[in-house]
Amino acid sequence: MTDWTDVAAVEDVPDEDVLGVVADGLRIALFRLEGEIFALHDLCSHGQAFLSDGFVEDGCVECPLHQGLIDIRTGAARSAPITEAVRSFPTRVIGDRVEVGL
Amino acid sequence: MILAADGRVVIVGAGQAGAWVARTLRDEGFTGEVTLIGAEAYHPYERPPLSKDVLKGADAATTGALLTAGQAQALGITCLLSQTVTAIDRAMRQVTCVSGQTLPYDVLFLTTGSRPRPLPWPEGEGAERLHGLRTRDDALRLRSALDGAQSLAVIGGGLIGLEVAATARQSGLEVTVIEAGPRLCARSLPPVASDWLADLHRQNGVSLRMGETVAGVQSDGLGVTLTLGDGATLRVDQVLVGIGILPETGLAQSAGLTLNDGIVVDAEGRTSDPAIFAAGDATRQPCPMGAAPLRQETWANAQAQGIGAARAALGLAPTRVKLPWFWSDQYAANIQVLGRPDLAATCIEQTAPTADTASWRMLDAAGTLVGAVAVNAPRALRDVRKEMEKARAAKQA
Repeated sequence: MTDWTDVAAVEDVPDEDVLGVVADGLRIALFRLEGEIFALHDLCSHGQAFLSDGFVEDGCVECPLHQGLIDIRTGAARSAPITEAVRSFPTRVIGDRVEVGL
Repeated sequence: MILAADGRVVIVGAGQAGAWVARTLRDEGFTGEVTLIGAEAYHPYERPPLSKDVLKGADAATTGALLTAGQAQALGITCLLSQTVTAIDRAMRQVTCVSGQTLPYDVLFLTTGSRPRPLPWPEGEGAERLHGLRTRDDALRLRSALDGAQSLAVIGGGLIGLEVAATARQSGLEVTVIEAGPRLCARSLPPVASDWLADLHRQNGVSLRMGETVAGVQSDGLGVTLTLGDGATLRVDQVLVGIGILPETGLAQSAGLTLNDGIVVDAEGRTSDPAIFAAGDATRQPCPMGAAPLRQETWANAQAQGIGAARAALGLAPTRVKLPWFWSDQYAANIQVLGRPDLAATCIEQTAPTADTASWRMLDAAGTLVGAVAVNAPRALRDVRKEMEKARAAKQA
């Protein structure tokens, strides 16, 4: 069973952008694409960069340090230097709150 | 020359460019033979951490791994390590290794990289206290030499020297940087950013000696005495030499490929031989901004050019060539540079500088945007990148 953790208010997750939060000591990057909220581990799988400092474009987040692209919906690597997927977490909206399944 | 699915590929040079050629061939479905030949004893790794994390003590074997033994095996990439190629026979399409082994190819990639420019005088008996930094072994040798050392002199105020200077300061060493020119990183930064960087190093306790040359180096087993151009001497425990790199073009030259301070390639890595591609530090390529062809001595270029050359060999459509770009990490500063600082005539503040951040737009003599420098301000750099790419697209349309 998924263990849901309240992480943010829905309105705090910017449209087509990213919000960094901490849940149970784990850094999470929350994204909103076309109204839907996605959550990735807030750490690039290549270097020591926070994806919450990255840039959202065409469904991907671009690492702010080395310009690698990661698919926001799945965490999959989309361009060099990223070769490993970033962990992706399920999300749900309960009322005006975002919950992440850790 | 388009590589058939059952073709044979040989890649000479197992650094950033070579590894991305190999990876890209497999990512794009190439099923033929891929042999990656590297002079070092290690599977491909990324070099940027060598002057920072590895020097600070990070596990060298795993830091920056680019293509591990396991990954190479899973991808069917044969890695010949501690091996060098001595000759290319273009008519027979085969390379000969120093071991005597010959390897036939349908397409050959030269990703031979570069080597540190040596000091212009004989090293003599003090050689064990003189260091360069290019390979993992160089970094481990330097790390062990700095462990217990009190002082370090860095000859050359370029990026490698300054990154090592920062790391050594963070480890408590007394550090002197000796730069022959009037400012730091004169090739890679505009003056305003050189000044900012000089302040950063001075604030961190580095002694900067600008406009100073080194006339001689003498080691007596207990330390090194540097004789400076003005006759003064400097006594230190260890010396790092970072006075630039030279492209590794010897093999290409012997094979008769067209050279111009680098292996001349087109935007997709084609050399003057249709069966040979080249990528990375060793090449001179067209400038994506339309200026004179250039050599790019960067991680990002080696990666992008390696990917581009592999795609071209497979007959795939070219991806957009990116603008020149690199970064350097010194102390807590992440410095990113976009475009061509060598074309910059003026710099204007993109954001107001603070103690930790700064960003500038670089304009050429005609007032055209030619790049940016951003310190701990990746968003500012990205804004300029988008703007330049938009202008580029409009020009090409």
